[in-house]
Amino acid sequence: MALFLTSILFGSFFRPDVRPGYGVTDIGWLSDYFSPLRNTNMDTPVYFMDSGVDGPTFLLMGGTHAREISASTAAIVFIENVAVTRGRVIVVPFSNISAASIADETGKAPHFIPIEGRSGTRFLVYGDRRTDPLDQSIPDPEIFKHAQSDFTLDDGAESRNLNRQYPGVADGNPTQQLAYAIIQLAKTENVDFNLDMHESGTPDSYIDSKGNERSGSSLAYTLVCHPDALEIGAVAIMEIEAFHGVSMKLEESNKAFRGLSHLEIGDATGSLSFLSETPNPGQDSWRDRYDVINDPDYPLSHRAGLQLQIIRSLFGAYEMMIGETIEVENLPSYEEVMQNGIFSYLN
Amino acid sequence: MKRLLIVLLIIGVVSVGFAADGTEQGCILEEPVAVTSAGQSPGALQFTIVAKMIKLEYTFEKLLSVETVDISQFKTLVLVVGASGKGLGAANIDIEAEILRVKSLAEAAEESGVKVVICNLEGESRRGPSSDRIVTELAPFADAYFVKADADLDGFFTSFSEEAGVPLATFEKTVDLKDVLAEYFCK
Repeated sequence: MALFLTSILFGSFFRPDVRPGYGVTDIGWLSDYFSPLRNTNMDTPVYFMDSGVDGPTFLLMGGTHAREISASTAAIVFIENVAVTRGRVIVVPFSNISAASIADETGKAPHFIPIEGRSGTRFLVYGDRRTDPLDQSIPDPEIFKHAQSDFTLDDGAESRNLNRQYPGVADGNPTQQLAYAIIQLAKTENVDFNLDMHESGTPDSYIDSKGNERSGSSLAYTLVCHPDALEIGAVAIMEIEAFHGVSMKLEESNKAFRGLSHLEIGDATGSLSFLSETPNPGQDSWRDRYDVINDPDYPLSHRAGLQLQIIRSLFGAYEMMIGETIEVENLPSYEEVMQNGIFSYLN
Repeated sequence: MKRLLIVLLIIGVVSVGFAADGTEQGCILEEPVAVTSAGQSPGALQFTIVAKMIKLEYTFEKLLSVETVDISQFKTLVLVVGASGKGLGAANIDIEAEILRVKSLAEAAEESGVKVVICNLEGESRRGPSSDRIVTELAPFADAYFVKADADLDGFFTSFSEEAGVPLATFEKTVDLKDVLAEYFCK
């Protein structure tokens, strides 16, 4: 409580290192859409990239789970490089900034990872999956229960997982309020389609402590789509496989599993909603050694490059199905990122 | 993003060209086609996107059943296999009910002389106990298999194909299914 009060008094909230390019036309705060977040560690910057030319609005979210760094890295690359020439893109690179403000509870990577960007050394943030307990300010319940349904999970800590709280609760706990604020943003800005970027464990199988072979993560290389967005997602992953050589799995939102962005943002706002998963070796519980940046099979360039390609392919698929789309310049393709390295796109 | 449109248009033009030169004689499969999922993964939806590329005449319902459709109005039934917990949840059905549904369809198709195709469009990611069980249950009805190559690395589909003496067509990428469809339907 003392730390919480200190934070309020001195405003020592976590602020990420984002160095916007000329494509950013305005910067706001999530609290602009839900004022109770202001002056808390749940408030987070919102970047607007408006072409001034009529077209759809796309919301790009990274950092829902702050250890899933291909997501926040791809969002930052977008902000620092891309110019939108038709329509409008809104980027929230650290959707749960409280989670970014603490180190990953599994201890598999340092909180701040030094990398060499275009203007020298800077740091990537490897945060936790869930809201800092200090920011949540109430103890975790024994069992998590979704506010709008009877859906429950045995792990009460999931009450601090942003991607279990949608559509959020205005007078709920801080993580529920965060989800509510993102829904307000999507509604207020008339977001036509959106992508919430994530990472999972890798698909590599492994031998467990009892000597049994176990399958790797079934989530890796998946694009999950709201039922209304499934056809666009199908076209996007077919293009990624055909032209970029990465096979992805398509999944439809499970209506029985409540609180997830791809289902609830779609249902609450009508925005066509997607969630992507790339494989992060730091999320494999069985590995003895981790390199979340330079893993030989799943380097960050591969993962963040794929996230950027998913964005580009969704723009193309959206045009095929809807008849208009976002047009951009300087959005690196998967191949360009693999050739040049992801850090060459960071200022 | 224009590139995708252009490529799909080229695919469409080339396919129309093949259709103009081809004849119905010797086609292994015929239209109209009924397409449904077997396991509720989105593979069946992906099948329809490829089918559109070659202008295949099809009807798609992911929960197509003998209670809602007279299967004899079709010439071919395509069952796109892929068990998905999310998809089954979205459809609010369990795996047992799903197997019953698709098996009833396959039985009705066989009785009506409708050819049955078992298709794996999503590759290795749709190989697992539930997906394999669906294939095993449907295998006695299969007239052909269309399978993404990485789903048959262990010869699972090859063995069914060889045992029954029915053709197996494999393809590397999802979009390559269009070549298989063009060949089998003379498009």
